Amino acid sequence: MTDYSNIESALLSGDADTVCNLVQAELDKGTNAAEILNDRLIKGMDIVGEKMQNGDMFIPEVLMSAMTMNQAVDILKPLLGEDDAATSGHVVVGTVKGDLHDIGKNLVTMMIGSSGFEVTDLGVDVAPEDFVNAIQEKNASIVALSALLTTTMPMMKKTIDAIHESGLGDQVKILVGGAPVTQAFADGIGADGYAADAGSAAKLVKSFV
Amino acid sequence: MFTQAQFLSPEEQQIIHKESLRILKEIGVLFHSEKALDILAKNGAKVDRESKIAKIPTELVDQALKTAPKSFICGARAKEKDFALPSTFSGYVLDNGGIFTRDFKTGKRRNATAQDHHDLLRVFDEMELGAMVWATSVQDPEPYSNLKKILTSYMHTSLHVQHELNHPNEVPFMIEGLEAIAGSADAVTERKLFSVIYCTLAPLVHEGHMCDAYLELIEYEQPICVFPMACAGSTGPASLYSNIALGNAEALSSLVLFQMAKPGCPIIFGDASGSTNFASGGFLEGSPEMVLQSAARGEMARFYGLPNEQAGCLADAKEHGAQAILEKMTTTLPLVMNGVDLVQGPGALETSNMMSLEQIVVDDEIARYCKRIRDGIDMSETKNYFDDIRDVKPGGHFLVQMNTLKSCRSDEFLAPTLCDRDAYEKWDEFGRPDMYEKAKTRVEEILAAPQKHPLPDDVIGKLDEIIRRADETIEE
Repeated sequence: MTDYSNIESALLSGDADTVCNLVQAELDKGTNAAEILNDRLIKGMDIVGEKMQNGDMFIPEVLMSAMTMNQAVDILKPLLGEDDAATSGHVVVGTVKGDLHDIGKNLVTMMIGSSGFEVTDLGVDVAPEDFVNAIQEKNASIVALSALLTTTMPMMKKTIDAIHESGLGDQVKILVGGAPVTQAFADGIGADGYAADAGSAAKLVKSFV
Repeated sequence: MFTQAQFLSPEEQQIIHKESLRILKEIGVLFHSEKALDILAKNGAKVDRESKIAKIPTELVDQALKTAPKSFICGARAKEKDFALPSTFSGYVLDNGGIFTRDFKTGKRRNATAQDHHDLLRVFDEMELGAMVWATSVQDPEPYSNLKKILTSYMHTSLHVQHELNHPNEVPFMIEGLEAIAGSADAVTERKLFSVIYCTLAPLVHEGHMCDAYLELIEYEQPICVFPMACAGSTGPASLYSNIALGNAEALSSLVLFQMAKPGCPIIFGDASGSTNFASGGFLEGSPEMVLQSAARGEMARFYGLPNEQAGCLADAKEHGAQAILEKMTTTLPLVMNGVDLVQGPGALETSNMMSLEQIVVDDEIARYCKRIRDGIDMSETKNYFDDIRDVKPGGHFLVQMNTLKSCRSDEFLAPTLCDRDAYEKWDEFGRPDMYEKAKTRVEEILAAPQKHPLPDDVIGKLDEIIRRADETIEE
């Protein structure tokens, strides 16, 4: 049986060179790319997520692990078959119209991206119709809305309304987050979920599929 | 002499200044406002229209520092509460931005309502060191337009009001409202009953609509409080040194823009830097690092000879009690001992997400303690009581000296309003009251009493009519 513990520990340390070398070494030995991805890298990121939730890993350390994960996935991608490469789903992420804050949204994007999802980041100041268009274009199953300002929180509801009016309400799960947002607010505007931080967002997104 | 704390030596202030100039000149600042870019380009900044980045040469900063006024008065609706800048003592600005309230009856956190915020304004109006308020900021029970939040605040406070404008289309209605309150168009400019907060988006970004709104508002000479919020370790670099330089550069870029647009427009050189909660990525404002930066930026304001407003008296604590008091004292005393003009933050808990009526009263007590320490030891000859020492002789006491009688109720000795100084038995007999219980009683007294400076009914009528027209015209 192959010992992957070094891949996991190097991933936890955010040591990209070591992780990439170990992944390449496993491939050279003939290990299946999908197995390396699913059984080791994604599981490694699950440990990162847990450690983040427990406060054992700090955000800069988590992000370093996520970036390391992305580099390793780049090595595996050309070797993954159509089925192997199938992701857990497509997530559209953005900060709602009128709000230019993006650090929380960027954290969520990275955490979801390193959990096996394809992510389209629409950036900041995103109009409801742009969310709708992106969901259609990417055939997304999840959309995550961010707002930092109390003044832009109502735009979350307008965006959710626009998604429902366009008939996409049954296709997507809607996740909201941001400093002033609460579970009660999320429930009140018809969101399917609320996450207080990036780690919880990734966990929630996984629970949707 | 005043008790003085210093956080940057004169040489270190020069270093921060030079690094700020280097950021402005070599990296530049992104402006989402085309109007702002036009003004900066016209005055000699190197503007890249595609990236919207303006690189600001040192000469523009020098020029802006020459034209920015060194002193002005922020008028209050009750004239005796006008706040002159710079100030000889630290005044306080109520942070009315919390979207939650610690319910006065149940003690539980819940969504804040407009009524909660009006009560906060009423209570803060009675605080000894209250200088200004931020306007109501909540949506409940029904959507509130930004103008309604600001103008209704004048109905519940007699202090100077400070808030944000979100769009240029709010400016004419705001000025009309100020005319109704101040009594004439000239009085709007002269009295300066309103000032705006201008938060740049760290790192180095200026918003579009807000910037455009203020470029119109400066024609009426309402002060602009530039208020960078760079967070060391997330939206700012992970050293206090460079985050202070970044915040200072953002503040200078705002100063340059508004002075180029209207030389002489009043600027308050503020700061609300934070530090990062590395476990969550969140903003921390009850940390020692926050106040070190805030105090240093206050020193930079004085380095430039500009009035200042610094975030302080803040807490990340979620509840009344020990952590709140520890964090608030930690983030207040250094600023006061540093001589900042305005401390923005009382009343807030939970990183400014939750407001508490009792906390306003407790924070005023903290402010009074800090002021007493700042006021220091009066070494004037009138306080030399050598004669008393001679009269009492060795072994006597000073309780019946005339100087003792005069002093016992003077500023020489602070009389707390909340802190307990009774003997144990008396304290026990009174039910072991703590500061927050006494604060609660004070809040009840204030809210039960009639408003001391009510806005005349005809002015309220005018404001309601302006709000109605604004709400019909402006789409939020």
